[in-house]
Amino acid sequence: MKLSRKSLLACAAALALSVAGARAASAETVHVTVSYYSAATGPYFEKMAAEFHKANPGTDIKIDVVNWDSLLQQLRTDIAGGTNPDISIIGTRWLLDFVKDDIAEPLDGYMDSAFKARFISPFLQHATIDGKVYGLPIAASARALYYNKDMLTKAGFPNGPATWDDVVAASEKLKAAGTPGFGLMAKGTEVDVYYYYALWSYGGDVIDSHNKAAFDSPAGVRALTLYKSLVDKGLTQPGVTNYTREDLQNLFKQGRVGMVMTAPFLINQIAKEAPKLDYGIVPVPKGTTSSTYAVTDSVVMFKNSKVKQAAWKFLDFLFTKEPRVEFTKGEGFLPTTVAEAQDPYFTDNARLKTFVDLLPTAHFAPTITGWEDTAKAVTDAVQSVYIGQAQPEAALKQAAARADESLGK
Amino acid sequence: MSTTTAARTAAAAPVRHGGVRLPLAPWLLILPSLLLAFAIIGYPFYQIVFLSVSDVSRFGLVRGFAGLANFTTIFTDSIFLGALLRTAEWTIGVVAGTLAISIPIALVLRQDFYGRGVARTIIMLPWAISLAMAAIVWLWSFNADYGMINATLRELGLMHGSVQWMAQAQTAFPAEIAVGIIVSIPFTTTILLGGLSSIPGDIYEAAAIDGARPWHCFRHLTLPLLGPFINIAVVLNVIHVFNSFPIIWVMTQGGPDNSTHILVTYLYELSFRLGRPGQASAVSLAMLAIVLAFTIVYMRLRRNEAIQ
Repeated sequence: MKLSRKSLLACAAALALSVAGARAASAETVHVTVSYYSAATGPYFEKMAAEFHKANPGTDIKIDVVNWDSLLQQLRTDIAGGTNPDISIIGTRWLLDFVKDDIAEPLDGYMDSAFKARFISPFLQHATIDGKVYGLPIAASARALYYNKDMLTKAGFPNGPATWDDVVAASEKLKAAGTPGFGLMAKGTEVDVYYYYALWSYGGDVIDSHNKAAFDSPAGVRALTLYKSLVDKGLTQPGVTNYTREDLQNLFKQGRVGMVMTAPFLINQIAKEAPKLDYGIVPVPKGTTSSTYAVTDSVVMFKNSKVKQAAWKFLDFLFTKEPRVEFTKGEGFLPTTVAEAQDPYFTDNARLKTFVDLLPTAHFAPTITGWEDTAKAVTDAVQSVYIGQAQPEAALKQAAARADESLGK
Repeated sequence: MSTTTAARTAAAAPVRHGGVRLPLAPWLLILPSLLLAFAIIGYPFYQIVFLSVSDVSRFGLVRGFAGLANFTTIFTDSIFLGALLRTAEWTIGVVAGTLAISIPIALVLRQDFYGRGVARTIIMLPWAISLAMAAIVWLWSFNADYGMINATLRELGLMHGSVQWMAQAQTAFPAEIAVGIIVSIPFTTTILLGGLSSIPGDIYEAAAIDGARPWHCFRHLTLPLLGPFINIAVVLNVIHVFNSFPIIWVMTQGGPDNSTHILVTYLYELSFRLGRPGQASAVSLAMLAIVLAFTIVYMRLRRNEAIQ
């Protein structure tokens, strides 16, 4: 009896304490949702939250780490239920939907020109809709081709392929040696993007200036025909529709495929998991022109937030040099602010420099409603061609018609 | 469940007409649970109906009334129609396959043999694993480069090289059905074992005296007496398999080129990948109608059969 009374007292005390604690915190709590990029993401943001709290004891930052695949879904649910965070990381290509539903807060009122000048301007431009900035670019990446140096040297391209003809020639040599040359992904997310690399390199584009699907152009057909011929000739890994981006990266790490196109974060992964792998990075192979794909993720503030000033203060802190460098280094992204780009980590790293140098010719995923539907239509089309159910031109025409149903709506 | 309540109300009705006072107390006593059940089932149902006739933004904000637009869109959508057909293949394949395997397993497990407890446990074990986990393990097993299925087939000398199981529907979909069957066996076997234990042993002795062979015993004694339990197994499995999401989503996400989508995976993609909650609600209402219709028709058929 005595014991239980004692524990009851302890419970009451704990309760009182926690209530007191909640009161102190309720002064201002900023809820932040971040996407899980790697094992380093959570600890990084927790550390930043703690540092910020030390400097601003009145403000508590609550970090919620959400898996990328379920991020949009969770935000949708939260928004519909009115329980959304104050700020969140989102894919910049989703931004228009947020703006259209009047969910995102325009940020121009919070920043002066000095703040704007912190960013590498195309990145900030990308998150600007109708002249208003709605998102701050927090993560950026571009795509390039990784090649296995040992394999490509034997195939006669010690400095990697420069054009699609080189890719074909090298893959044929590698096939004769018994390994697949060109890694092609056709499962999971970004199947469409893998096709866009070739589309852009032939001078095509996904969407034209009237916001209509344009990937069924001759350039698009040529790009898809090229990939299909690689599949048919056995120059890719077998069963391409069975490989996600991660599967392909794993094959590359194991030295089981000669070439793979992906983002800079593979550098960090190889350093950790396959440090002995000798590889180089070159731009996406040239067709008629050279180009790459750039992606940014942005931080948005929600219109219904009650702690906008505190949230902004935290963002201001996140976008100073040291936090930026630590984040970008840890995740293997590309710098989005001018100051971090000057850090020796980025200027002295030849592999990363390949990516940074590509940025001027980079295509961004356009901020347009219906982008996900377009991605789905293109993914279906490419897959149907790879498994031999459809011809490139017919499949692309059909996908364009499907995409047009949703684009801009 | 629905049959028992139906039977009960049917039984209660004549009593009421006979002028006997309606027993109020029982209704009052179950009122709280009824209200709770109504809130839990009724509110989401209302929401889904509401969304299905609304123009809904990608964030679930209702922009206006859409009439039947969502329904006409999905019923003219070739992916939806393909998924509808495939759902039938999936449901029939898994349920029939499960029954075909579970009945012999249940018959074997009814026999008294050394180690029966262990055997029963082994059959039940897959039940303890969550469906998503089981699907992930099977996805690894079907991996073309280092999966155990390809390795086993090579070891047995049945093939050279490797099969890319998940690369096209011709191999992926049967593989998914096979996984569906494996994970449904424990539940079905349990029901059938329960049924078998209710069949008295002496009728077999009598049949044996009359010269019945084991096959005759199975065909004319076991199967008919097992009938009601097979019915329950069919109905519960159909409802469950029809709505089963994790296996296909984990293994192929409905791809490549929508060739392994069933309704529930397509519903998920519509709602959470493509951001069309209105159309997704329409699909889920269509699914509800199908399951309901199946259950009613099946129950009717079996009842008529039983009467004959």
